[in-house]
Amino acid sequence: MTAIEHGEEAIVIIGSGAGGGTLAYELTAKGIPVVVLEAGPYLTNDDYVNDEWEAFNQMAWLDPRTTSGSWRVARDFPNLPCWIVKAVGGSTTHWSGATPRFKAHEFAARSTYGRIDGASLLDWPITLAELEPYYDKAEIAMGSTHVHGRKPLPANNNYIVMANGAERLGYSFYATGPYATNAEEYDGRPASIQDGFNFQGDKNRSKWSTLVREIPRAEATGLLDLRPESHAVQITHDSSGRADAVLYLDKDGNLQRQAAALVAVAANSIETPRLLLQSASPMFPDGLANSSGQVGRNYMRHTTGSVYARFPDKVNMFRGETMAGVVADESKHDPDRGFAGGYYLETISLGPAFLASFAEPGAWGREFTEILDAYANTAGLWIVGEDMPQESNRVTLNTSVSDKNGLPVPNVHFDDHPNDVAMRSHGYTQAELLYDAVGSTGSHRTPPYPSTHNLGTSRMSEKPQDGVVDRYGRTHDVPNLFISDGSQFTTGAAANPTLTIVALAIRQAEYIADQLKTGGI
Amino acid sequence: MAFPAKYPQLNETELTDEARSVLIRVIRVAFPHDNFPDGPYERTADTILKEAENSTWFRVALTQGLLTLSHLAGGDFRDLNEEDATKVLRRIESTEFFGFIRRTTVLNLYDNKDVWEVLGYEGPSFDKGGYINRGFDDLDWLPKARVELYDGPKKFVELAGNVPLAAHRGAETGAGTAVPAPAGQAERDTSNQPGKRAAEMAEVKK
Repeated sequence: MTAIEHGEEAIVIIGSGAGGGTLAYELTAKGIPVVVLEAGPYLTNDDYVNDEWEAFNQMAWLDPRTTSGSWRVARDFPNLPCWIVKAVGGSTTHWSGATPRFKAHEFAARSTYGRIDGASLLDWPITLAELEPYYDKAEIAMGSTHVHGRKPLPANNNYIVMANGAERLGYSFYATGPYATNAEEYDGRPASIQDGFNFQGDKNRSKWSTLVREIPRAEATGLLDLRPESHAVQITHDSSGRADAVLYLDKDGNLQRQAAALVAVAANSIETPRLLLQSASPMFPDGLANSSGQVGRNYMRHTTGSVYARFPDKVNMFRGETMAGVVADESKHDPDRGFAGGYYLETISLGPAFLASFAEPGAWGREFTEILDAYANTAGLWIVGEDMPQESNRVTLNTSVSDKNGLPVPNVHFDDHPNDVAMRSHGYTQAELLYDAVGSTGSHRTPPYPSTHNLGTSRMSEKPQDGVVDRYGRTHDVPNLFISDGSQFTTGAAANPTLTIVALAIRQAEYIADQLKTGGI
Repeated sequence: MAFPAKYPQLNETELTDEARSVLIRVIRVAFPHDNFPDGPYERTADTILKEAENSTWFRVALTQGLLTLSHLAGGDFRDLNEEDATKVLRRIESTEFFGFIRRTTVLNLYDNKDVWEVLGYEGPSFDKGGYINRGFDDLDWLPKARVELYDGPKKFVELAGNVPLAAHRGAETGAGTAVPAPAGQAERDTSNQPGKRAAEMAEVKK
């Protein structure tokens, strides 16, 4: 690995997941050296374990956080608002792999949905047409099934139930993907062996992550200085208001300073605004790049929920890919359903340990144990749809609680919008009808898990007063500061976000390389 | 972390064998699985007792709870049938005592091979080559399902026909430029701006 001097003004990327890992690879591939600060350790596929809780404790971001608001997570998991990864590769090591694209109208949510009370909808400053070439690149990089000649994944048991139910319900637009998991050998990585431990890192390397693709390739260029266990604390700036360094804690807790010519923040949508807020200074009293007041606001987590249905016969949903099936019929925008935006239904499976913890937190007695007793005969799916951005859904610094380094922890405040509630309820009903159509004898509506899709807290906007970053993810206020993760999402769309984060990062890398060449930064 | 009491004798709880057996009964009534043998319940009770050693708060709550359960039970809790025992637990379900038992049980009872086998979960598979040759697609009570994307006569309609602004953006996939504001709406509606220092801190749970 290349070592870059701490005093050298470097391109510094904070985070090594979908946004940061992709940006690091794309820049080094263009001959630009980068420093990547990753808060977590460098775990590899050999380190991962086929055990839900052990893997969770190995991979998850467990630093303390607080929660508030009426969302159920604040009651059931008050210190675990989201379920994301703290390790090299970030949450791409945990993600399910689903790669639907945004639809054209989802980049124009405000224009399409109209004004919705309480929602801070805004159109993206970019269109689907602009992003399409980058979607292609991202899908090819990630090996998305069903597109660019990639084979579909085979149907596993959980999918057979969902697909048959979908067909009988009158749905048509279902398939085993697109998923960024190899159905056959591709890009130097093997086909899935259907081991069922996709959320636990995927030991087999069949699932795309920046850990298996972008990070090793960036390392191979000799231009990457990857620093694991390096937790960014503050971005500092010079008298002209340009970012000039990143302060971070190394693995021994020592504060280090890396000089910077450019800083790209890709720390996921809780830590990204936290870092900007921690970087407040006399020149930027409300936080760095926060003249709009939008840093930390419009926190979105997708409207989610699961349905676990019981059948007279065995399903064995745990055998095979955790997620390998998408029903897209409800991903349209049709206000006659009683809500704006759309949602997907995607297969999901949990082992008994996680099902017990997440199926119905707080429950006990026979109505709880019947869920577990039916385990072998259970099929499961996940509802994932667009949620409404709201200014009051917000990440702030909780100055009365500190982490082990003495830093204020982020507080995550969330209330469902009535549109979210209506969509979730519709999704539950459709999922139950779907399973009824193939003979389910009972089902359970599982509330949203701690958030895996964290979006919107540094959103993209045409006008500086409406958001934090411009059409390339460059902050409106600080010319050499970029946001490179899902925080820049103006609205959430129905699609799982990773493909879009990767596409935006590839596009951003082109822009940064061009600007560095032409002196535009 | 254990916080030693000022009076050392208080560090020793009164968790007798009898208390342990009441605890096992509490867990079985709260999480009844007719197919589970005693082993998983005993294992879970021992985990709870061990965890209680690490927290003064849980230790005193657990000790007091187990000692006094008989007051509500009107006798020995272990003598109640499941229905009556469940009623007793419903009355105390919001107590720290029961909450501690419930949380620790959910986290531990189901995280062990002894119950996975009963429930039909086969667990770790990587070392056995995954499930690809071990039944990942052996479900035979439904027809085989299509895995490819739909390729039939139906067209997927992204936007319902009655959406007034659909024409402006929804159908557009070609033009690679920023979208003009919809006609008759020169200034697009944007969100309200918060005050500069309007950083209200919501109630924080610790």
